[in-house]
Amino acid sequence: MPTNSFTDITVSASVTVVPEHIHSIDQDIDLYGGNLRQIERLKKTIGFDQRRIAPKEVTALDLCHQASERLLSNLNLSAEALDGIIFVTQTPDHSQPSNASLLHGLLGCQKSCAALDIGLGCSGFVYGLWLAFSLINNGSSDKILVLTGDTLSRMVNPQDKATASLFGDGGSATLVQKQAGAGVSWFQLGSDGTGAEALKVPAGGARIPISQATAKASTDTEGNIRTQEDLFMDGASVFNFSIEVVPEAIKALLKVADLPLESLDYLVLHQANTYMVQNIGKRLGIDPARLPIRSFGAFGNLSSASIPGALAYELADELTDKKTSKPQKLIFSGFGVGLSWGSCLLPLEPLKCLEWLEYKQ
Amino acid sequence: MQIEQFIEQVEDALYGVDAGTISRETDFTSLKEWDSLALLTLTDTIDMEYGVLMKKGEIESCATVMNLFEKIQSKQVS
Repeated sequence: MPTNSFTDITVSASVTVVPEHIHSIDQDIDLYGGNLRQIERLKKTIGFDQRRIAPKEVTALDLCHQASERLLSNLNLSAEALDGIIFVTQTPDHSQPSNASLLHGLLGCQKSCAALDIGLGCSGFVYGLWLAFSLINNGSSDKILVLTGDTLSRMVNPQDKATASLFGDGGSATLVQKQAGAGVSWFQLGSDGTGAEALKVPAGGARIPISQATAKASTDTEGNIRTQEDLFMDGASVFNFSIEVVPEAIKALLKVADLPLESLDYLVLHQANTYMVQNIGKRLGIDPARLPIRSFGAFGNLSSASIPGALAYELADELTDKKTSKPQKLIFSGFGVGLSWGSCLLPLEPLKCLEWLEYKQ
Repeated sequence: MQIEQFIEQVEDALYGVDAGTISRETDFTSLKEWDSLALLTLTDTIDMEYGVLMKKGEIESCATVMNLFEKIQSKQVS
Protein backbone atom coordinates (compact mmCIF):
# COMPACT_ATOMS: atom_id res chain seq x y z
CA MET A 1 0.00 0.00 0.00
CA PRO A 2 1.30 3.46 -0.82
CA THR A 3 2.23 5.65 2.11
CA ASN A 4 -0.67 7.86 3.12
CA SER A 5 -1.07 10.81 5.42
CA PHE A 6 -3.74 12.40 7.60
CA THR A 7 -4.15 15.76 9.30
CA ASP A 8 -6.36 16.96 12.15
CA ILE A 9 -6.52 13.47 13.69
CA THR A 10 -4.60 12.27 16.73
CA VAL A 11 -4.09 9.59 19.36
CA SER A 12 -5.17 11.16 22.64
CA ALA A 13 -5.02 8.46 25.32
CA SER A 14 -4.05 4.84 25.92
CA VAL A 15 -4.42 2.34 28.77
CA THR A 16 -2.93 -1.15 28.91
CA VAL A 17 -4.10 -3.86 31.30
CA VAL A 18 -2.00 -6.94 32.10
CA PRO A 19 -2.83 -9.88 34.36
CA GLU A 20 -1.50 -9.81 37.90
CA HIS A 21 0.27 -13.15 37.69
CA ILE A 22 3.98 -12.97 36.89
CA HIS A 23 5.77 -15.99 35.46
CA SER A 24 9.57 -15.93 35.40
CA ILE A 25 11.80 -17.69 32.87
CA ASP A 26 13.54 -19.24 35.91
CA GLN A 27 10.40 -21.32 36.41
CA ASP A 28 10.84 -22.83 32.94
CA ILE A 29 14.00 -24.68 33.99
CA ASP A 30 12.51 -28.12 33.19
CA LEU A 31 11.74 -27.03 29.62
CA TYR A 32 15.47 -26.43 29.18
CA GLY A 33 16.44 -29.79 30.65
CA GLY A 34 17.53 -28.32 33.98
CA ASN A 35 20.23 -26.33 32.17
CA LEU A 36 20.71 -23.15 34.21
CA ARG A 37 23.34 -21.93 31.80
CA GLN A 38 20.82 -22.01 28.95
CA ILE A 39 18.40 -19.91 31.01
CA GLU A 40 21.16 -17.37 31.64
CA ARG A 41 21.97 -17.32 27.94
CA LEU A 42 18.32 -16.71 27.01
CA LYS A 43 18.08 -13.90 29.54
CA LYS A 44 21.24 -12.30 28.25
CA THR A 45 20.74 -12.68 24.51
CA ILE A 46 16.96 -12.60 23.98
CA GLY A 47 15.97 -10.63 27.08
CA PHE A 48 13.63 -13.23 28.59
CA ASP A 49 12.73 -12.41 32.17
CA GLN A 50 9.12 -12.05 33.34
CA ARG A 51 5.85 -12.43 31.54
CA ARG A 52 2.23 -11.81 32.52
CA ILE A 53 -0.11 -14.76 32.41
CA ALA A 54 -3.90 -14.50 32.51
CA PRO A 55 -5.91 -17.00 34.54
CA LYS A 56 -7.89 -19.47 32.38
CA GLU A 57 -11.19 -17.64 32.76
CA VAL A 58 -9.81 -14.24 31.70
CA THR A 59 -9.74 -13.40 27.98
CA ALA A 60 -8.39 -10.59 25.81
CA LEU A 61 -11.91 -9.17 25.84
CA ASP A 62 -11.83 -8.91 29.65
CA LEU A 63 -8.43 -7.21 29.64
CA CYS A 64 -9.47 -4.76 26.92
CA HIS A 65 -12.83 -4.13 28.59
CA GLN A 66 -11.09 -3.09 31.78
CA ALA A 67 -8.65 -0.92 29.82
CA SER A 68 -11.60 0.74 28.03
CA GLU A 69 -13.53 1.48 31.23
CA ARG A 70 -10.41 2.96 32.79
CA LEU A 71 -9.65 5.10 29.74
CA LEU A 72 -13.21 6.44 29.50
CA SER A 73 -13.32 7.20 33.21
CA ASN A 74 -9.90 8.94 33.15
CA LEU A 75 -11.09 11.13 30.30
CA ASN A 76 -14.52 11.60 31.84
CA LEU A 77 -15.90 10.44 28.52
CA SER A 78 -19.16 8.53 27.95
CA ALA A 79 -19.11 5.36 25.82
CA GLU A 80 -21.94 7.03 23.91
CA ALA A 81 -19.40 9.46 22.47
CA LEU A 82 -17.70 6.65 20.52
CA ASP A 83 -18.40 6.35 16.79
CA GLY A 84 -16.46 3.14 16.30
CA ILE A 85 -14.85 0.19 18.05
CA ILE A 86 -12.00 -1.61 16.33
CA PHE A 87 -10.82 -4.72 18.15
CA VAL A 88 -7.54 -6.24 17.01
CA THR A 89 -7.15 -9.81 18.25
CA GLN A 90 -6.20 -13.35 17.27
CA THR A 91 -7.77 -14.79 20.40
CA PRO A 92 -11.41 -13.61 20.36
CA ASP A 93 -13.93 -15.04 22.84
CA HIS A 94 -15.87 -16.72 20.03
CA SER A 95 -15.58 -17.25 16.28
CA GLN A 96 -18.89 -15.33 16.19
CA PRO A 97 -19.82 -12.68 17.24
CA SER A 98 -16.78 -10.42 17.20
CA ASN A 99 -15.06 -9.15 20.33
CA ALA A 100 -15.89 -5.61 19.15
CA SER A 101 -19.64 -6.41 19.20
CA LEU A 102 -19.36 -7.86 22.69
CA LEU A 103 -17.42 -4.85 23.94
CA HIS A 104 -19.96 -2.53 22.29
CA GLY A 105 -22.62 -4.12 24.48
CA LEU A 106 -20.49 -4.17 27.63
CA LEU A 107 -19.61 -0.49 27.35
CA GLY A 108 -23.12 0.60 26.36
CA CYS A 109 -22.24 2.32 23.10
CA GLN A 110 -24.82 3.92 20.84
CA LYS A 111 -26.43 1.90 18.08
CA SER A 112 -24.83 4.22 15.55
CA CYS A 113 -21.37 3.09 16.73
CA ALA A 114 -19.72 0.66 14.29
CA ALA A 115 -17.94 -2.36 15.80
CA LEU A 116 -15.60 -4.76 14.04
CA ASP A 117 -12.60 -7.01 14.67
CA ILE A 118 -9.29 -7.14 12.84
CA GLY A 119 -7.61 -10.56 12.80
CA LEU A 120 -3.99 -9.51 13.19
CA GLY A 121 -1.26 -10.01 15.78
CA CYS A 122 1.99 -8.15 16.29
CA SER A 123 1.45 -5.67 13.44
CA GLY A 124 -2.14 -5.05 14.50
CA PHE A 125 -1.82 -1.92 16.62
CA VAL A 126 -0.65 0.11 13.62
CA TYR A 127 -3.33 -1.43 11.38
CA GLY A 128 -5.98 -0.58 13.98
CA LEU A 129 -4.76 3.02 14.23
CA TRP A 130 -4.65 3.32 10.45
CA LEU A 131 -8.26 2.15 10.09
CA ALA A 132 -9.38 4.51 12.86
CA PHE A 133 -7.58 7.44 11.20
CA SER A 134 -9.17 6.46 7.86
CA LEU A 135 -12.70 6.33 9.30
CA ILE A 136 -12.28 9.70 10.95
CA ASN A 137 -10.74 11.10 7.79
CA ASN A 138 -13.70 9.98 5.65
CA GLY A 139 -16.01 12.09 7.76
CA SER A 140 -17.98 9.26 9.35
CA SER A 141 -16.48 9.45 12.82
CA ASP A 142 -15.03 11.74 15.47
CA LYS A 143 -13.87 9.28 18.11
CA ILE A 144 -12.81 5.67 17.67
CA LEU A 145 -11.62 3.27 20.33
CA VAL A 146 -8.91 0.85 19.17
CA LEU A 147 -8.49 -2.27 21.27
CA THR A 148 -5.51 -4.57 20.93
CA GLY A 149 -5.17 -7.71 22.98
CA ASP A 150 -4.38 -11.39 23.03
CA THR A 151 -3.94 -14.28 25.40
CA LEU A 152 -1.18 -15.96 23.41
CA SER A 153 0.27 -17.67 26.49
CA ARG A 154 -2.59 -20.14 26.10
CA MET A 155 -1.96 -20.74 22.39
CA VAL A 156 1.55 -22.10 22.90
CA ASN A 157 2.55 -25.58 23.95
CA PRO A 158 4.50 -25.43 27.24
CA GLN A 159 6.92 -27.96 25.76
CA ASP A 160 7.73 -25.96 22.63
CA LYS A 161 10.92 -23.99 23.27
CA ALA A 162 10.34 -21.82 20.19
CA THR A 163 7.31 -20.17 21.75
CA ALA A 164 6.69 -21.29 25.35
CA SER A 165 8.72 -18.60 27.11
CA LEU A 166 7.98 -15.79 24.67
CA PHE A 167 4.43 -14.56 25.03
CA GLY A 168 2.61 -12.70 27.76
CA ASP A 169 -1.06 -11.73 27.92
CA GLY A 170 -2.36 -8.19 27.77
CA GLY A 171 -4.96 -5.82 26.39
CA SER A 172 -5.00 -2.14 25.60
CA ALA A 173 -7.50 0.57 24.72
CA THR A 174 -6.38 3.59 22.68
CA LEU A 175 -8.50 6.56 21.71
CA VAL A 176 -8.15 8.09 18.25
CA GLN A 177 -10.00 11.34 17.68
CA LYS A 178 -10.53 14.32 15.46
CA GLN A 179 -8.36 17.19 16.65
CA ALA A 180 -8.14 20.48 14.78
CA GLY A 181 -4.51 21.50 14.42
CA ALA A 182 -3.07 18.00 14.84
CA GLY A 183 -0.09 17.78 12.48
CA VAL A 184 0.55 15.35 9.66
CA SER A 185 0.56 11.61 10.46
CA TRP A 186 2.03 9.13 8.00
CA PHE A 187 1.16 5.45 7.64
CA GLN A 188 2.63 2.63 5.63
CA LEU A 189 1.36 -0.94 5.72
CA GLY A 190 2.54 -4.12 4.03
CA SER A 191 1.85 -7.84 3.76
CA ASP A 192 3.55 -10.95 2.43
CA GLY A 193 1.12 -13.81 2.38
CA THR A 194 3.74 -16.15 0.93
CA GLY A 195 5.26 -16.18 4.43
CA ALA A 196 2.02 -17.20 6.12
CA GLU A 197 3.36 -20.58 7.23
CA ALA A 198 6.00 -19.00 9.48
CA LEU A 199 3.49 -18.19 12.23
CA LYS A 200 0.41 -20.35 12.30
CA VAL A 201 -2.16 -22.15 14.41
CA PRO A 202 -3.05 -24.93 11.95
CA ALA A 203 -6.26 -26.25 13.53
CA GLY A 204 -9.34 -24.70 15.07
CA GLY A 205 -10.61 -22.73 12.07
CA ALA A 206 -12.88 -23.83 9.24
CA ARG A 207 -10.06 -25.52 7.28
CA ILE A 208 -9.08 -27.95 10.03
CA PRO A 209 -11.68 -28.06 12.81
CA ILE A 210 -10.46 -29.32 16.17
CA SER A 211 -10.73 -33.07 16.63
CA GLN A 212 -9.02 -35.87 18.53
CA ALA A 213 -6.38 -35.94 15.79
CA THR A 214 -5.57 -32.22 16.07
CA ALA A 215 -5.13 -32.54 19.85
CA LYS A 216 -2.45 -35.20 19.41
CA ALA A 217 1.03 -33.97 20.30
CA SER A 218 4.01 -34.64 18.09
CA THR A 219 7.72 -33.93 18.47
CA ASP A 220 9.72 -32.03 15.86
CA THR A 221 13.37 -32.49 14.89
CA GLU A 222 14.51 -30.09 17.62
CA GLY A 223 12.60 -32.01 20.29
CA ASN A 224 9.80 -29.44 20.62
CA ILE A 225 6.36 -30.80 21.33
CA ARG A 226 3.11 -29.30 20.07
CA THR A 227 -0.31 -30.16 18.65
CA GLN A 228 -2.03 -28.72 15.57
CA GLU A 229 -4.04 -26.52 17.89
CA ASP A 230 -0.92 -24.82 19.22
CA LEU A 231 0.84 -21.82 17.76
CA PHE A 232 3.75 -22.81 15.54
CA MET A 233 6.56 -20.32 14.95
CA ASP A 234 9.48 -20.71 12.57
CA GLY A 235 11.69 -18.35 14.57
CA ALA A 236 14.50 -18.13 12.01
CA SER A 237 12.14 -17.16 9.19
CA VAL A 238 10.35 -14.60 11.34
CA PHE A 239 13.67 -13.12 12.41
CA ASN A 240 14.93 -12.88 8.85
CA PHE A 241 11.67 -11.33 7.69
CA SER A 242 11.80 -8.74 10.46
CA ILE A 243 15.36 -7.59 9.86
CA GLU A 244 14.78 -7.45 6.10
CA VAL A 245 11.50 -5.56 6.14
CA VAL A 246 11.26 -3.37 9.24
CA PRO A 247 14.37 -1.15 9.00
CA GLU A 248 13.62 -0.46 5.34
CA ALA A 249 9.98 0.35 6.07
CA ILE A 250 10.99 2.83 8.76
CA LYS A 251 13.57 4.47 6.50
CA ALA A 252 10.95 4.78 3.75
CA LEU A 253 8.48 6.39 6.15
CA LEU A 254 11.05 8.93 7.34
CA LYS A 255 11.95 9.70 3.75
CA VAL A 256 8.41 10.37 2.59
CA ALA A 257 7.78 12.51 5.67
CA ASP A 258 11.08 14.27 4.95
CA LEU A 259 12.23 13.82 8.52
CA PRO A 260 15.77 12.89 9.59
CA LEU A 261 16.06 10.03 12.08
CA GLU A 262 17.70 12.41 14.56
CA SER A 263 14.59 14.53 14.89
CA LEU A 264 12.51 11.55 16.01
CA ASP A 265 11.76 11.60 19.75
CA TYR A 266 10.96 7.88 20.08
CA LEU A 267 10.88 4.78 17.93
CA VAL A 268 8.46 2.33 19.51
CA LEU A 269 8.84 -1.09 17.92
CA HIS A 270 6.68 -4.12 18.52
CA GLN A 271 8.36 -5.64 21.59
CA ALA A 272 8.93 -9.03 19.96
CA ASN A 273 11.90 -9.59 22.27
CA THR A 274 14.80 -7.46 23.48
CA TYR A 275 17.22 -8.89 20.92
CA MET A 276 14.96 -8.04 17.99
CA VAL A 277 14.25 -4.50 19.18
CA GLN A 278 17.94 -3.84 19.83
CA ASN A 279 18.88 -5.32 16.50
CA ILE A 280 16.47 -3.23 14.43
CA GLY A 281 17.53 -0.16 16.42
CA LYS A 282 21.17 -0.88 15.66
CA ARG A 283 20.46 -1.32 11.95
CA LEU A 284 18.80 2.09 11.87
CA GLY A 285 21.51 3.67 13.99
CA ILE A 286 19.07 5.17 16.46
CA ASP A 287 20.15 6.54 19.84
CA PRO A 288 19.24 3.79 22.37
CA ALA A 289 17.69 6.45 24.65
CA ARG A 290 14.98 6.88 22.01
CA LEU A 291 14.20 3.17 21.73
CA PRO A 292 11.89 1.76 24.42
CA ILE A 293 13.00 -1.78 25.16
CA ARG A 294 12.26 -2.69 28.77
CA SER A 295 8.64 -3.82 28.65
CA PHE A 296 9.44 -7.20 27.03
CA GLY A 297 11.27 -8.30 30.18
CA ALA A 298 8.35 -7.20 32.34
CA PHE A 299 5.34 -8.36 30.30
CA GLY A 300 6.60 -10.78 27.63
CA ASN A 301 5.66 -10.35 23.97
CA LEU A 302 2.12 -8.95 24.15
CA SER A 303 1.29 -9.38 20.45
CA SER A 304 -0.74 -6.37 19.23
CA ALA A 305 -0.76 -4.84 22.72
CA SER A 306 3.03 -4.62 22.90
CA ILE A 307 3.37 -1.10 21.43
CA PRO A 308 0.77 0.54 23.71
CA GLY A 309 2.22 -1.58 26.53
CA ALA A 310 5.70 -0.22 25.85
CA LEU A 311 4.36 3.35 25.66
CA ALA A 312 2.66 3.02 29.04
CA TYR A 313 5.52 1.13 30.70
CA GLU A 314 8.34 3.41 29.61
CA LEU A 315 6.99 6.72 28.37
CA ALA A 316 4.04 7.44 30.67
CA ASP A 317 5.66 10.64 31.93
CA GLU A 318 7.50 11.61 28.75
CA LEU A 319 4.34 11.63 26.63
CA THR A 320 1.98 13.30 29.10
CA ASP A 321 2.01 16.72 30.73
CA LYS A 322 4.01 15.24 33.64
CA LYS A 323 7.18 15.85 31.63
CA THR A 324 6.34 17.62 28.42
CA SER A 325 4.21 20.36 27.00
CA LYS A 326 5.35 20.16 23.40
CA PRO A 327 4.45 17.68 20.68
CA GLN A 328 6.68 14.61 20.36
CA LYS A 329 7.44 12.85 17.09
CA LEU A 330 7.03 9.10 17.35
CA ILE A 331 7.21 6.13 15.03
CA PHE A 332 5.32 2.97 15.87
CA SER A 333 6.23 -0.16 13.95
CA GLY A 334 4.61 -3.57 14.26
CA PHE A 335 5.46 -6.78 12.39
CA GLY A 336 4.47 -10.41 12.58
CA VAL A 337 1.77 -12.93 11.70
CA GLY A 338 0.48 -12.73 8.13
CA LEU A 339 3.21 -12.00 7.46
CA SER A 340 2.35 -8.35 7.86
CA TRP A 341 3.89 -5.10 8.99
CA GLY A 342 2.85 -1.53 9.54
CA SER A 343 4.57 1.67 10.60
CA CYS A 344 3.30 5.12 11.37
CA LEU A 345 4.84 8.46 12.16
CA LEU A 346 2.74 10.58 14.50
CA PRO A 347 3.20 14.05 15.95
CA LEU A 348 1.73 13.53 19.42
CA GLU A 349 0.55 16.36 21.65
CA PRO A 350 0.88 15.41 25.34
CA LEU A 351 -1.57 12.53 25.88
CA LYS A 352 -4.51 13.02 28.22
CA CYS A 353 -3.78 9.69 29.84
CA LEU A 354 -1.16 6.99 29.39
CA GLU A 355 -0.89 4.21 31.94
CA TRP A 356 -0.73 0.49 32.55
CA LEU A 357 -2.38 -1.40 35.38
CA GLU A 358 -3.09 -4.90 36.58
CA TYR A 359 -6.36 -6.65 35.88
CA LYS A 360 -8.77 -6.79 38.82
CA GLN A 361 -11.54 -9.37 38.82
CA MET B 1 37.03 -10.54 5.25
CA GLN B 2 39.50 -12.51 7.35
CA ILE B 3 39.01 -16.17 8.25
CA GLU B 4 40.58 -15.69 11.70
CA GLN B 5 38.07 -13.01 12.57
CA PHE B 6 35.23 -15.08 11.14
CA ILE B 7 36.20 -18.06 13.32
CA GLU B 8 35.94 -15.82 16.37
CA GLN B 9 32.48 -14.70 15.26
CA VAL B 10 31.35 -18.30 14.86
CA GLU B 11 32.73 -19.01 18.33
CA ASP B 12 30.74 -16.08 19.75
CA ALA B 13 27.52 -17.42 18.21
CA LEU B 14 28.12 -20.85 19.76
CA TYR B 15 27.47 -19.81 23.33
CA GLY B 16 29.51 -21.74 25.87
CA VAL B 17 31.86 -23.39 23.39
CA ASP B 18 35.45 -23.60 24.69
CA ALA B 19 37.85 -21.08 23.16
CA GLY B 20 39.99 -22.68 20.47
CA THR B 21 37.43 -25.39 19.66
CA ILE B 22 36.58 -23.87 16.30
CA SER B 23 38.88 -24.14 13.31
CA ARG B 24 38.46 -23.89 9.52
CA GLU B 25 37.59 -27.58 9.35
CA THR B 26 35.08 -27.68 12.21
CA ASP B 27 31.69 -29.17 11.36
CA PHE B 28 30.05 -26.49 13.49
CA THR B 29 26.45 -27.68 13.14
CA SER B 30 27.31 -31.01 14.75
CA LEU B 31 28.65 -29.38 17.93
CA LYS B 32 26.48 -29.78 20.99
CA GLU B 33 26.33 -25.98 21.37
CA TRP B 34 24.70 -25.61 17.92
CA ASP B 35 21.00 -24.80 18.24
CA SER B 36 18.35 -22.46 16.86
CA LEU B 37 19.64 -19.56 18.93
CA ALA B 38 23.17 -20.08 17.63
CA LEU B 39 21.73 -20.08 14.10
CA LEU B 40 19.89 -16.86 14.77
CA THR B 41 22.90 -15.03 16.18
CA LEU B 42 25.18 -16.31 13.41
CA THR B 43 22.69 -15.26 10.70
CA ASP B 44 22.56 -11.84 12.27
CA THR B 45 26.34 -11.51 12.58
CA ILE B 46 26.87 -12.47 8.94
CA ASP B 47 24.26 -9.95 7.82
CA MET B 48 25.57 -7.14 10.01
CA GLU B 49 29.29 -7.73 9.40
CA TYR B 50 29.33 -8.89 5.78
CA GLY B 51 26.04 -7.60 4.37
CA VAL B 52 24.83 -11.06 3.38
CA LEU B 53 21.48 -12.33 4.60
CA MET B 54 21.67 -16.13 4.45
CA LYS B 55 18.43 -17.87 3.54
CA LYS B 56 16.84 -20.57 5.63
CA GLY B 57 18.90 -23.77 5.47
CA GLU B 58 21.94 -22.18 3.81
CA ILE B 59 24.10 -21.96 6.92
CA GLU B 60 23.21 -25.48 8.05
CA SER B 61 24.08 -26.87 4.60
CA CYS B 62 27.74 -25.88 5.03
CA ALA B 63 29.88 -28.80 6.18
CA THR B 64 32.64 -26.71 7.75
CA VAL B 65 33.41 -23.18 8.90
CA MET B 66 35.55 -22.72 5.78
CA ASN B 67 32.65 -23.76 3.52
CA LEU B 68 30.46 -21.16 5.17
CA PHE B 69 33.17 -18.55 4.87
CA GLU B 70 33.50 -19.25 1.14
CA LYS B 71 29.77 -19.18 0.63
CA ILE B 72 29.54 -15.73 2.22
CA GLN B 73 32.41 -14.51 0.05
CA SER B 74 30.76 -15.79 -3.12
CA LYS B 75 27.54 -14.02 -2.19
CA GLN B 76 29.38 -10.79 -1.49
CA VAL B 77 30.78 -10.83 -5.03
CA SER B 78 27.51 -11.63 -6.79
